[in-house]
Amino acid sequence: MHIPDGFLDITTASVTYIIFIVFGYYALRKSRRMMESDMISFVSILAAGIFAAQMLNWPLPGGTSLHFVGGALAGILLGPWLGFLTICSVVIVQALIFHDGGITTLGANALNMAIIAVLIGHSSYEFLIRNFGNRDSIRFLGAFLAGWLSIIIAGAAAAIQIGYSQSFPYGFAITIPVMVGWHAVLGIIEGIITAFSIIYLSRRAPQLLSVEGGVK
Amino acid sequence: MKTLIFLVTIILVSPIFGVILADIVGFHEPLNIAAEKIELHDLSKDMNWTPLFDYTIPGLSPEIGYIISGLLGITIILGVGLFFKGRGKQN
Repeated sequence: MHIPDGFLDITTASVTYIIFIVFGYYALRKSRRMMESDMISFVSILAAGIFAAQMLNWPLPGGTSLHFVGGALAGILLGPWLGFLTICSVVIVQALIFHDGGITTLGANALNMAIIAVLIGHSSYEFLIRNFGNRDSIRFLGAFLAGWLSIIIAGAAAAIQIGYSQSFPYGFAITIPVMVGWHAVLGIIEGIITAFSIIYLSRRAPQLLSVEGGVK
Repeated sequence: MKTLIFLVTIILVSPIFGVILADIVGFHEPLNIAAEKIELHDLSKDMNWTPLFDYTIPGLSPEIGYIISGLLGITIILGVGLFFKGRGKQN
């Protein structure tokens, strides 16, 4: 899902950077009062865990691969603001230190993985828990759907950015089916990992699911 | 400490998936598949700024480079967390 340099034109790259910076400024303001010592530790450990999990690239016969993105998990555990900061720190380290994702496309990558995936994951899980109850079965289903949807919609957002970009001559007709189709399949694994992580944490460390900004 | 051991274990096994199996099946991310269809040119190597490009380290095998890159990545993230934790305590 990391968009490399050269895939976006200057307009698309600029617009996504502006959204990233504005959202980031707002997220920092909103999360400042939550940034106590223990919370900073939890955010950095979760970010390190997601970074490590993203290195487990599972290649699939046929020539693609999947890896855990973690946006939904961060959104469910920490809420949209701290969840953004968690995934954002991963995306920035990947881009600046390892050039995994471009520098001109950092805004787009942060928008897709740290904003859209986190918001979709957080809000879809919260919707199910609020409307159908806080039971293990609903938590599992909610976390699965949160992980799956977060990947599909973040993939669709990447497809729209590439399709809109003037660097790409063919438009959405190719980018959206390819990206959404693949990510609908890969998202199943994201959903399963997110669901088992949430169930595990709800039994072993339930306090982690009730942090401020997160969803019980 | 348990978490740290878990993270290091993930990093130690990561080359099996990220390097060895990836070479065997010739992996591409879905985005690269879309890019090939539309003939987009990836400029990453033309405008590279880091010696650790794509989790490799010059002079080391891809597997060892991948492990060291992973360890470096989690060290940086945890280090930034410790820095802000220290600043939070001072304030």
